[in-house]
Amino acid sequence: MFAPGYMAILDPFAPEAQDVVRSAPPLDSMPQEIVERAVDRVKWKSPKEMMVDATPRAIQNEILSFYLMCQGTAAVSYPYSREARLVTGAMRETIKYRMYELFKRGHEDICLDVVARSFRFVQLEHDGVVKLKNIEIPREDYFKLRDRRLAEDGIEIVDDRVLPQYVPKYAVRWTDLALLMRYRRVDLTKLYIVHGWAVITPRELWEIFANFIGAKTEEYIASLYERFSESGVPSKLLDSVGQRISALIPPEVELRERFRRVPIGKLRPEFFPPCVKKALGGVGAGVRNYAIAVLLTSFLSYARVSPSGKVATRMADFINDISVVREEIAPLITEAAEHCNPPFFKDHPQEKANVYYHLGFGMALEPRLEDSGKSKWYRTPNCGKIQISAPSLCEPDDFCRGRNIKNPLTYYYKCLAEQARPYTGD
Amino acid sequence: MQFREATPDERKLFYLEEWNKKDLPDFILHTLSLREFGFDYGEGPSHRYNQFMTVEQLSDFLKNRAPYAAYASVALYEQPSMRKGWLKSELVFDVDAKDLPIKTCGCSAGAVCEKCLDEARQIASMFAETLRSDLDLRNINFVYSGRGFHIRVNDDAIMTMEQTERTQIVEYVTGSIVPTDMTIAFGYSQVFRDRVARVFDRLDEQKLIEIGMRKALVQQLIKEKEKVIAMMRKGKLQDLQNFSGMGQKTFGQLVDYLMKLNSALTDGKVTIDTKRILRLPSSLHSGVSMKCVLVRDIEHFSIESAIPKFMREGK
Repeated sequence: MFAPGYMAILDPFAPEAQDVVRSAPPLDSMPQEIVERAVDRVKWKSPKEMMVDATPRAIQNEILSFYLMCQGTAAVSYPYSREARLVTGAMRETIKYRMYELFKRGHEDICLDVVARSFRFVQLEHDGVVKLKNIEIPREDYFKLRDRRLAEDGIEIVDDRVLPQYVPKYAVRWTDLALLMRYRRVDLTKLYIVHGWAVITPRELWEIFANFIGAKTEEYIASLYERFSESGVPSKLLDSVGQRISALIPPEVELRERFRRVPIGKLRPEFFPPCVKKALGGVGAGVRNYAIAVLLTSFLSYARVSPSGKVATRMADFINDISVVREEIAPLITEAAEHCNPPFFKDHPQEKANVYYHLGFGMALEPRLEDSGKSKWYRTPNCGKIQISAPSLCEPDDFCRGRNIKNPLTYYYKCLAEQARPYTGD
Repeated sequence: MQFREATPDERKLFYLEEWNKKDLPDFILHTLSLREFGFDYGEGPSHRYNQFMTVEQLSDFLKNRAPYAAYASVALYEQPSMRKGWLKSELVFDVDAKDLPIKTCGCSAGAVCEKCLDEARQIASMFAETLRSDLDLRNINFVYSGRGFHIRVNDDAIMTMEQTERTQIVEYVTGSIVPTDMTIAFGYSQVFRDRVARVFDRLDEQKLIEIGMRKALVQQLIKEKEKVIAMMRKGKLQDLQNFSGMGQKTFGQLVDYLMKLNSALTDGKVTIDTKRILRLPSSLHSGVSMKCVLVRDIEHFSIESAIPKFMREGK
């Protein structure tokens, strides 16, 4: 028998997991074994590491370490960063493996109970013929679906242990897969849909559910980033966990990312949110200070530098050439200030120094790298704050609304991530 | 059937004497105050951000202003007059007779005749069948738009879906992706087979030569059209390579071309745009002097039901 709440090891967003989080000790007194697990879980490879004993303590460690891993990641990176992708990838693998292992041990029921909370599904009936809710599935299709999945995994020889994973057994409502379609983790044209039900094998069920938890984890990390923007510098513990996770990024991934980032590390104005575009076009008296010195300064610097690997307090920790500030960020801010009515810096020349102050270079007019850290590098304000301080800047578009964006940077990073996401259908 | 532009007096006459709120479909009527309305006074649909709290307000507006065209959003908003607080959007398909990729009627591009309108009707019916039987969607409505048909799906299961999901639905319904296995009896493979066979049936020699296929091969394919279509319906598309002169490259060219034609059966941009405004059912399409009407039975649609009185009386 499993302890109550065991379901949470398959879905860390389930109510049982929330109960565990509510009764968690404060961050400062988090037991070391949980801290270690939060970092280690990113590199889990073996079944022994991924599986969780059915004891309350093991379940608690599992859930708290998951949340610590996510919070640490959000503390030292940005939404959809390589750290976030490393963590969500690890989470997907873990969930998939746990589903597989529980099925293998004969605990299919617990997996199906968890899945049923997120997806409507039915089991195919085998009554001489294969039926899906009284619709007969042609035998040929049934075997073709099986063979297709085997071929996709490159399996030529099957035994009694492997074969059942590849035999169509369930059907889920395709409309419940919307989140996965959005993340391009499911292609509608690759599904076998009959009367609204997508017929799937156990293996596909594990994959679909693991991808679903992965997508939710990615969204959760993005929401944490927005929360940290609101509450200031994250705790030392989160910083330390995040830095250790960041250090686990395989060198080849980091290298690939760097090369990828050379051309696109430059700012991509086409992905700027409406408020930033508006600020860049210049605004009228009353909101100029907020638009230029607060919003643009922080947004452009964080978007350009994309601080990753440690808590962002000093720009010099992430760049080694001041030209990034002088030649890429500052000219955009100066141009936007010029477009204001009346021109902002003409009216308030002292605000030019204030821009560098907000970038963390103290009150300087010619910033140097070594000045970085003399003042605080201000984070980009959340949408809620912008709406209060400069409501005329906030004109949400479909993307803001559809994705429930709470910070202008999340908008930018999400657009970049979606553009970079490979999709074979295009 | 004659299409011609309505005069300002005819527009006025139509809205004063013929337009009736009872002609608004329920799916519009029941959500009227949540939709953004747009109007065209002759320079395009530039008058947007309008909201009507009651159907009487809309009625007064139409009767007073007699717009060249009237539109309503596919989206429902908390504040339609500001296009803020998006709640959900209908899933729509726009099958425009003037933009059909293959016209067998001889109409020039951009023109519309009864035959191409009927072709658009058949395509709309075919798409709706896939939405209904494969994807099990409900509350599927057809609207004759004046130059084609709109399919408007008001099923809550898909109304909160975003652009990426809607893109995938368009691909599925139009058959514009090659399936992993073309021989599977049900599901997308069947949709794809039906679509490519249908589009090939409408092709002539000229079109195939235009994509760079050799004349001898084209003549052979057209001569054995029935056989080719049967191959396609059975999912044995690869067997087309047995035709002399059909190498792998030419075969790929042909499949790409058929998929391109499939994807052009509807304007995908309309489907994925969740804040689109579409011609208001019950309103007048002044460009062709036809009523935009809800079609209750797509199989037996008669254009007679869309002819405004001023056109009948002017005969």
